[in-house]
Amino acid sequence: MWNIINFEVFRALKKKSFWYASIAPVIIILAVLGIEKLSIQSAQKNAQTQDQNYSQSAKVAVLDDSGLINSQLLAAQHIGTEPNKDAGIAAVKSGQLGAFFYYPQNPELSGIQVYAQDQGISISSPYNDAAISLLQQSVAKDVSSATGNSQAVQILEKSPGVTAITYKNGAEINDLTNAIAPGIFAAIFFLVVVLLSYTMISSTSEEKANKTAEILLTSIKARTLILGKIISLMILGLVQIAVLTIPLILAYVFFPSHFGLPAGLTLSSIPINPIAVMFAALFFIVGLVMYIGFVVGLGALFPGGNDASRFMGIAIIWNFVPIYAITSVISSPHALVVTVFTYFPLTAPTTTLLRNAVGSLSVGEAFAALAVLILSACVSVWFAVRAFRYGSMEYGRRVGLKELIRN
Amino acid sequence: MDFPVVDIQSFAMSFGPKEVIKDLSFNVNQGEVFGLLGANGAGKTTTIRTLLSLLEPTSGTLSVNGKRYSPAMAATVGYLPEQRGLYRNEPVLDTMVYLAVMHGLSRDEATKRSKAYLERVGIADKAHERLSSLSNGQQQKVQLGATIVHEPSLMILDEPTEALDPVNRSLLMDIIQEQRAKGATVMLVTHRMEEVEQLCDRIVLLKDGHRALYGTVDEVKNQFGATVIALAYSGQLPINERLYGITKQLPHYAELAWQKGVAVDEIFKFLANSPDLHVTAFDVRRPTLNEIFLSLYK
Repeated sequence: MWNIINFEVFRALKKKSFWYASIAPVIIILAVLGIEKLSIQSAQKNAQTQDQNYSQSAKVAVLDDSGLINSQLLAAQHIGTEPNKDAGIAAVKSGQLGAFFYYPQNPELSGIQVYAQDQGISISSPYNDAAISLLQQSVAKDVSSATGNSQAVQILEKSPGVTAITYKNGAEINDLTNAIAPGIFAAIFFLVVVLLSYTMISSTSEEKANKTAEILLTSIKARTLILGKIISLMILGLVQIAVLTIPLILAYVFFPSHFGLPAGLTLSSIPINPIAVMFAALFFIVGLVMYIGFVVGLGALFPGGNDASRFMGIAIIWNFVPIYAITSVISSPHALVVTVFTYFPLTAPTTTLLRNAVGSLSVGEAFAALAVLILSACVSVWFAVRAFRYGSMEYGRRVGLKELIRN
Repeated sequence: MDFPVVDIQSFAMSFGPKEVIKDLSFNVNQGEVFGLLGANGAGKTTTIRTLLSLLEPTSGTLSVNGKRYSPAMAATVGYLPEQRGLYRNEPVLDTMVYLAVMHGLSRDEATKRSKAYLERVGIADKAHERLSSLSNGQQQKVQLGATIVHEPSLMILDEPTEALDPVNRSLLMDIIQEQRAKGATVMLVTHRMEEVEQLCDRIVLLKDGHRALYGTVDEVKNQFGATVIALAYSGQLPINERLYGITKQLPHYAELAWQKGVAVDEIFKFLANSPDLHVTAFDVRRPTLNEIFLSLYK
């Protein structure tokens, strides 16, 4: 097994195309960050106007325990005050206020609390920007109002964190920042599927095209070979993820002000729900095994890489089908289409990862979907082994599924 | 004492309604070079693939060293398939080491032996080049190396000289002789009868999926063919149906099968005294395997 993993991993790593595919997303992301940086000045200029728009279009009130908020600014932006926190929250719940900002004693350390009406799908509420902007403008306008210059400098240099709770019809709804940690698994799954699918399919179609299958099958069991290939592909996936994330993490560590997370978000403020993260990891691993098995099996059925890659699109598209129903996946988790996507093997990895991220998957559903995925992964690996065992020796010929099952 | 390294008994194979092998039995003894012969489509490759458990037999038993073959026995078997190929985009040495490790060698030993083989066949300088950058003949050498580098005790070579250039054909013949001298058993699948005559101790000949001939080369010749007279001549070859029949005739060469009860001397005297015929060579010989093969398939 180690011999196969060693051979498969290193021969992929030696290919330029592997590195081009791995580095391309990093370049794209860095390019987007560059463009974002160029546009940041105009965004900052617009920030004050936006704040005023929000405060004018919807009633906003604050409670300032920090003593930093400038009362003239509040008056200019028609922002009221609340006598205590509970009253502010109650006013938001009842719909009297669009948002309520609570500034604790040291907002640069403990962050700003934002209570607001739901604004739809968004990682950070637009009120977060307004709350930060109000604080920064206040500090900038009258530095002497701060308890010390160092606090003011800290607030101006680095946006304070924001904890946001949103309400819809008086009920608290999930903060989408909760989706970030488990959502990362969904993002990585998409990336691996897109970047590694050709390597997956060619890992077996190449054996067939090169006519090496007979020598391999007399030297090693098909099951060992396929498992070796699956593990190799997962290792290559990890390499690609590392290539993608390490530069971004380094960029964030060394240039935090140039690397904008959504307003008020810091790495440390991203909430971690251990159950959701655990399920995300399981859906990711089992889903990936199932997908690799399926694609590797397809590769063994077709006479060459080109023929196989034509069918690769069919394999990939299943992972993106749930995106077309993303609104239902998030907001109507019990709709029939979402249920079908959750339990249909080829759409299950994406749907479960997305639903798990946005918190619309109950623990019971998660276990059921996981069971379906584990069973599907077993079937998928069985299919790959059988396809390689019986399909890879049929050089120059496509093997049908009927033929595969009959053998 | 002969020990059957390969034992095939009552082997039958069908693909759907088509029966391609019918009740085939033979064995291959330790240390011999055995020829599995037959025309294209006779069932040779199917027999080998089934022997190596790449296919499951419809009925019958096929064993290597007394057991059904499994990849766990890979260290003892070197298989050169009819449909051959290696990783075209990988370095030669990496491919050879990968396959040798699969056949039970340690990585160090596999590297050492692969390098030694490449040195022996004169392509050591290509060890780190991609296979696709090598000439066809050099690729064939690598393929042979991948088959024998782990020094198997049983070599199964399916059409080994097919598409080989004369240099590599000679190299293969040397390798077969070397391995045999070391005690290896060689199973040669071919339809090239001249190679069989040069190398094989025993043969089995398949025709339409069943055993048409089986035994030592001598036994097969005795079993099948009558002795013929090979005649080189100029002039006019006379017809004499009382003495002989003409089985093959070219402008200056003919093969004669003599009639029952007629002595060779009598034919020779008759030809020597024929006025329009000048005999330049007269040879009494048994038929070649090629002749037997051709007559079987007529």
